[in-house]
Amino acid sequence: MKILIVEDEPGLRESIEEYFSEAGNICETAATYQSALAKVNMYRYDCILLDITLPGGNGLDILNNLKENNHQDGVLIISAKNSLDDRLQGLNIGADDYLVKPFHLSELKARVSAIIRRKSYNGSNLLVFNEITIDLLAKEVKVGTTPVKFTRKEFALLLYFIANKGKVVSKNAIAEHLWGDGIDMADNFDFIYSHIKNIRKKLIEAGCKDYIYAAYGMGYKFADK
Amino acid sequence: MKLLTRYNQVNLITTIVVMLITGFIYYQAISYILTGLKDKDLVVEEQEIFDYVKLNHALPQTFESNDQQITFASAAPGSVKREFINTEYFKKDEGRKKHKKDCGEYEAGRGLISSVSVGDKYYKILIIVSKVETEDLIRLIFFITIGVILLLLAVLIITNRLILNRLWQPFYNMMGELRVFSIADEHQIPDLKTSIDEFNELNNAMVDMAAKAKHDYRDLKAFTENASHELMTPIAVINSKLDTLIQTENFSDAQSKLLNDLYSAVSRLHRLNQSLLLLVKVENGLMHDKKPINLREMAEEMVSQFEEIFNDKNIKVSSSFAEKEIFASHYLAEILLSNLISNAIRHNHNGGEIVINLNSAAFTIKNTGDSEPLPVEKIFTRFHKSSCSEGSGLGLTISREICENFGFKLEYKFEEGFHVFEVRF
Repeated sequence: MKILIVEDEPGLRESIEEYFSEAGNICETAATYQSALAKVNMYRYDCILLDITLPGGNGLDILNNLKENNHQDGVLIISAKNSLDDRLQGLNIGADDYLVKPFHLSELKARVSAIIRRKSYNGSNLLVFNEITIDLLAKEVKVGTTPVKFTRKEFALLLYFIANKGKVVSKNAIAEHLWGDGIDMADNFDFIYSHIKNIRKKLIEAGCKDYIYAAYGMGYKFADK
Repeated sequence: MKLLTRYNQVNLITTIVVMLITGFIYYQAISYILTGLKDKDLVVEEQEIFDYVKLNHALPQTFESNDQQITFASAAPGSVKREFINTEYFKKDEGRKKHKKDCGEYEAGRGLISSVSVGDKYYKILIIVSKVETEDLIRLIFFITIGVILLLLAVLIITNRLILNRLWQPFYNMMGELRVFSIADEHQIPDLKTSIDEFNELNNAMVDMAAKAKHDYRDLKAFTENASHELMTPIAVINSKLDTLIQTENFSDAQSKLLNDLYSAVSRLHRLNQSLLLLVKVENGLMHDKKPINLREMAEEMVSQFEEIFNDKNIKVSSSFAEKEIFASHYLAEILLSNLISNAIRHNHNGGEIVINLNSAAFTIKNTGDSEPLPVEKIFTRFHKSSCSEGSGLGLTISREICENFGFKLEYKFEEGFHVFEVRF
């Protein structure tokens, strides 16, 4: 997939670029309003990660420009502003999602994957990873042909892992993804472990390979080694 | 003491003192003038006697009138010094004359002692005139004057009261404005126009001061907000770098422990910053997404969100929810519930208990924990937290601000070993 990262903060831009650069992905970056506008007008992207406060202009204007020209690129706004007005304004103009800084790269990846899925699968709602097939609408998981029953959180976690396949996902990121920012229990992530344990158990019982690896006590990695 | 009272007090005292002084001077002046008139009469009388003696070479016959007595007495030549005296005038009582010769009364009189020589005889003349009319006159004038002054005083006090009350009205209006002045709300102190320069100046000073205070306050809040915003970007960079770092393989146990600590610290920093921003927003009343909320549904949803954590800490949760709808910001209501529940978990012990209850009057959450009650006056202040708490220290402050924003009341009590937080609608 082709992704444009519009972000003026170099540290953040490079991290995102590195995280998204993998086989089959093309990442381009723009650090200013003008360069972003130029790229947006020349090339099409599967998803544009758009910072709102940019040197030279407002990211929302780029979004407006896209919509005026009827471009169908997916747009995810990344903003330091967590105000409801901004969020609503962005989504009203036609952004597909809104993510507030700071965020975990795994969260960003999961959201971008969701946007691209929505855009490209267009009606079809099956996500396939090796022998695992996930029906996104019915929220059903099959291993081969065997259906596996997952709870809502387990389902969300599986999706999260698949979106971040091959990456180490930190426990913080998982906790924030499942329980939102509101969760303030950073001292104890044991409950995540029980979720992971359940998912592994259910998948293996259905005849799936074990894809989930613990990573040095920091997080987990979902990978087809 | 009211200004008017004080003013009247001063006014009254000075008026009375001035009145007494003028009264005394007035009395002395009139008395002096009238005595002068009497003295002229006496001199005229003396002259008549001299004229008579010169003409007749004999003393005139003494007679008594009602207001004048003349007596002659022989004296050693040259022994009499001519002078005016204040004396008494014996007024004979006409009605009782027949019965008793000396019956009568003494009145104030003015006398002239003089001397005359008739032939070789030397006489002392004493002419006395009654001063009673003069005294009466003085008294009359004095009373009229006092009456006028008293009347003036009364009129002054009454008009003062009326006029001053009206004059001071702008002042009272300004006082009223100051009393309801709040640095946080949008209401400005209005420009009052009066014809009194002092009040205009006071009003101008007040308006300027209020505007400046509000401006500074807004600046300060904007600063807090901007500072928190600006912090978000570096935190985002740290966070993303950490996420990138853990992708590189082969960490030792010690390194992964360090990374975990870094993650928790960044996560705490993030939450703290978020809480600060939220607090600024709630305090500014910047949440305008009010709509009807089914609180029962929200509370149930929230409790199920926390289920894993309840289980993890072996906390027994019992809840009863009645239907309750509130009109409020969805976002804030969620934060309120989540704050209260996570507090109840955080300050609980393993195997503890949480009781959540929602009815039409209140949302109550009780939890076991420390056996000592918390200091009520401190727990709602910013950054107050127990030493072992991992929280931001802003949770309860935010909760209380949200409740105030909604027009609810958040209260704490300690009951039968339970810490009870109650939101009363």
